Amino acid sequence: MNNLLIPVLLIILAPFIGGLVYGFERIVKARMQRRIGPPLLQPFYDFLKLADKRRMIVHSAHAFFGIMHFVSLWFAVGVLLMGGDLILVVFLHLLSSSLMILAGYSTRSIFSHLGANRTAMTLLAYEPVLILIAVSIYLVTGSFDVSSVYKMDQPLLYKLPLAFIALLLILPIKMKKSPFDVAEAHQEVVGGVELEFSGIFFEAVYTAKWLDYVFCYTLVYMFAGSNVLLGIGLMVFTFLYLNALDNSSARVNYRQMLRFSLGVACSLAFINLLIHSIF
Amino acid sequence: MYSFIAGIFILPVIVSGLLLFLPSKAAKILVIFSAVVLSAISVYLFIQVDQPFYFSVPHYINEIVAGADILLLLYFGFVAIRKKSLLVGVMTVLQLGGLLYLLKILPPAESMQFMVDKLSAAMFMLINIISGIIAIYSLRYIEEEDCSSFRKKYFMSIMFWFIAVMNMIVSSDNLEYFFLFFELTTLASFLFIGFRKDQESVGNAITALWMNQIGGLAILVAIFFIHYNGYGEATFSNLLTHGSATGILLPLAFMSIAALIKGAQMPFSKWLLGAMVAPTPVSALLHSSTMVKIAPFIILRLSPVIKDTPVATVIIALTGFVFVAAAVVSLSQDNLKRILAHSTIGLLALMIMMAAIATPVTIIASLVLILFHGISKCMLFLNAGVLERVFHLKQTSDMDKLGEVGPYTSLAVTIGFMSLLLPPFGAFVGKWLSYLTLGAFLQEQRVFGALVIVFVAIGGAVFSLLYFKVMGTLISRTGNNDHIEFEHTGKIYKTIINLLMVMIVLCMVGLPYLLTHLFSPVAADLVGSHIPIVTEGWNYYIGAMKLPMVPLLVAFFLLPVTIVAAMFVQFKKVDRAKEYMCGEKINYSFSSFYFTTDKAAPYFSTVGILFFIALIAVALI
Amino acid sequence: MKLASFRKKSPWILHYNAGGCNGCDIEILACLAPKYDIERFGMINTGNPKQSDILLVTGPVTKRSRERLVEIYDQMPEPKVVISCGACASTGGVFRGMYNCEGGIDQFIPVDVYVCGCGTRPEQIIDGVVQALGILEKKTKELEESVRLSKKPVQEGRQLNRRNIADEIKPLVS
Ligand code: SF4
Repeated sequence: MNNLLIPVLLIILAPFIGGLVYGFERIVKARMQRRIGPPLLQPFYDFLKLADKRRMIVHSAHAFFGIMHFVSLWFAVGVLLMGGDLILVVFLHLLSSSLMILAGYSTRSIFSHLGANRTAMTLLAYEPVLILIAVSIYLVTGSFDVSSVYKMDQPLLYKLPLAFIALLLILPIKMKKSPFDVAEAHQEVVGGVELEFSGIFFEAVYTAKWLDYVFCYTLVYMFAGSNVLLGIGLMVFTFLYLNALDNSSARVNYRQMLRFSLGVACSLAFINLLIHSIF
Repeated sequence: MYSFIAGIFILPVIVSGLLLFLPSKAAKILVIFSAVVLSAISVYLFIQVDQPFYFSVPHYINEIVAGADILLLLYFGFVAIRKKSLLVGVMTVLQLGGLLYLLKILPPAESMQFMVDKLSAAMFMLINIISGIIAIYSLRYIEEEDCSSFRKKYFMSIMFWFIAVMNMIVSSDNLEYFFLFFELTTLASFLFIGFRKDQESVGNAITALWMNQIGGLAILVAIFFIHYNGYGEATFSNLLTHGSATGILLPLAFMSIAALIKGAQMPFSKWLLGAMVAPTPVSALLHSSTMVKIAPFIILRLSPVIKDTPVATVIIALTGFVFVAAAVVSLSQDNLKRILAHSTIGLLALMIMMAAIATPVTIIASLVLILFHGISKCMLFLNAGVLERVFHLKQTSDMDKLGEVGPYTSLAVTIGFMSLLLPPFGAFVGKWLSYLTLGAFLQEQRVFGALVIVFVAIGGAVFSLLYFKVMGTLISRTGNNDHIEFEHTGKIYKTIINLLMVMIVLCMVGLPYLLTHLFSPVAADLVGSHIPIVTEGWNYYIGAMKLPMVPLLVAFFLLPVTIVAAMFVQFKKVDRAKEYMCGEKINYSFSSFYFTTDKAAPYFSTVGILFFIALIAVALI
Repeated sequence: MKLASFRKKSPWILHYNAGGCNGCDIEILACLAPKYDIERFGMINTGNPKQSDILLVTGPVTKRSRERLVEIYDQMPEPKVVISCGACASTGGVFRGMYNCEGGIDQFIPVDVYVCGCGTRPEQIIDGVVQALGILEKKTKELEESVRLSKKPVQEGRQLNRRNIADEIKPLVS
């Protein structure tokens, strides 16, 4: 009962936690630029404000896809936190992204289309790496279940250091952080797929972004296995790394992104797989 | 049971003959009636067949088969002379020589020629139900074809002929019979591809002919080696009993070559791509239920002996490579049918790979893919036909208005693509099982397994990019009028597409049932041991593999329901605003990414040829 | 606590240049930079009308940008406030009377706050925004009418359409 309580609580609170992380991130990012930055609860202020706007959509299907994106992402996060099958988690995440991509394509908006195209590209960039990581985890634990990772006596990190690095390399793509934020690229495509959402419908997309934080940091935490301290250390490290990278790098185009992720990140994960399967 | 099997063989032949001269009204009724009857028989047979059921035909049929073989080859020779095709000529001469030689040296067949087991019965279901649906659809499609009324009848007639031959090929045990039916499917596809009679059709038909003839030749060589090695008669069941005999690799390798050619794997993918020139129901037929499905069928049949041999290793490597290569090449395509064809090649590769790994779970994965891919592809191709006939669209880049003029068709195509890609659809389950088992495969095969898994992961991702690319152009619409009205495409078209969509959904919902009652018995029959499928709480266990059902159930509500509901949801009291275009009021036209990956195709073919050489080489060593 | 009070805490800004000399735009960007750091009030420069609350317009409205201005204004969901930033946006400024300019954005959309200065200072802009926030809090979600536009969303079939509001914009008779 007790070991079920924490995941369930986490799942219910996931958007809230993600929001806090996002708020904190905005502060840290501002501090890195020697600014003061918004208050910690800023994302929630945004959230409440958005709820108050007059409702406006392009067409119903588009808005509906946005909402379902949020729902399905929450579900994917839920399966991940409950310790479900990692491959399934990856595909459920793909499902939620696909709903977002469909939303982007469903309008006749030029930026939405561009954004959807680019989001599909980012999928191509990180999906193989995630699957390779899942398979490496299977090699170590003998099961695709995330819960089996926590049962190991040794953290996953010691066994799969390269896979962890590969994960670090694709996280910016997944979280749409510079230098791999082509999909969102506010200055180029005005936010891409999320452009056409407004008011309460944008809220779904906005909170989905927070859920993505929970998703990514859970993946990071997974590498610490049962070692809670190490897990927190890893998450803090990843957090700082992502923000420093975001602040200090310029955007690359999608070709460079693909080449990098399939060339470097994917081969790192592959080498890791090789090393592990040989020894 | 014997009479039912005879029925499933003979009925389509009779229908095929009748269709040639019946008036169109009567033909319509006959087609619908026989499609229903054939489907019913196939389901009944599947329920009835428990043990492999052997039966033989009278001796004089052996002579007829030999005669038919020679006649067929003579016809091919005639084609070669008339069309002045050197390749077909060479192939025919080789085949004829081989056949005559074999007829001379082989002792008269003693054992049973036919065997119907669970696998055959499952294939019966696939062939008869899906092809029946396609036949009904083509009634309407062929009406609008620009050709003489006799050729229309002739088209329907070949279709049933094809069904009959397919039914026979999956139940033949004797390899000589198998060779005849193999060649007959080649003939049927040759006639189909050349149906439109223009220059391109004829050229592609010739390509298909000689490529498939190589497959036929490979079967002859396999028969020769079976005889030469002294295994006794050339039958599948005999081959299976010689699993550890010396020299077994050679016949296996040649049978696999026949399979890989039928399955349009890389250097031989050209014939399937060329088949696009034929009327669309033909593509649907070739891709979903007949022809290419012979490939995984052969490998599945041979899976107990092929397992863990060097031949299997090469096949796995080849198919892993083809999976990626087909995906990459398809990114440059614009024609919807060509995109679909590439995805067929890729998924066939996956099926063959799973069949060649041949653990119980991979066999289930392979079967799941065969069935669900059949249904999904059939629907996609039939929709491509509707697009062609009703909307006059062939290129995906022209389809950007489809979301407005044909929301129903765009919905159907979207669901079709989704069903190939995402949870909770059947084809996804097949893919998922593949990933799960590849993990286990990796533990045995080490480096090789790792390579295969990278290929599959990257290929899968590229395919998802491709599907999104296509779907993206199909569904866009403005908010000018939010209320969607489905278009009328025609009674037959709509009924058939609806039926297929219902089948996709049913297969998805009934997956647990299908696993225990369809896939696992077939796989158990092939592996020779019982595969335990247990439900424990909310999990499903296939052997040691765990399939959690709750996420799949929820995914069902998330994806298919969402896509359909998105068409009908109407938000009230909400303003409809214009799309943001920096304040401009211009109407843009949209397109998607296009990659010039087709330049890589020749290299892929070269690599494919190397693989084929390797396949023979490992068998010789 | 009412939802309306949160409008003050997270105003998202859309910045539109209707043909100004770029002087004011530079100053607006300066507000975002570390020295003035308006993000500490929760402001974001979104660049997207559909998600913003404050429309910050610079420039005298050239004839080319007229319809775009209204289109963008129209795409912002209410409640929204408009700040006219700089002399030329407010009155036409140095461009007043030129053949290609209309002279001030308030001829097309309702303006809530005028910020003066030819080359406004960042402090002034922040001050203007703070004033605008007070107005934003008081506004309702109902549709506000512009001076020249009286068109409201129309009920078409089952949907409330505001897609064509900007179509009415005609040039000012000179
Ligand atoms: S007010 Fe002056 S500085 Fe600002 S945009 Fe107009 S002309 Fe340029």
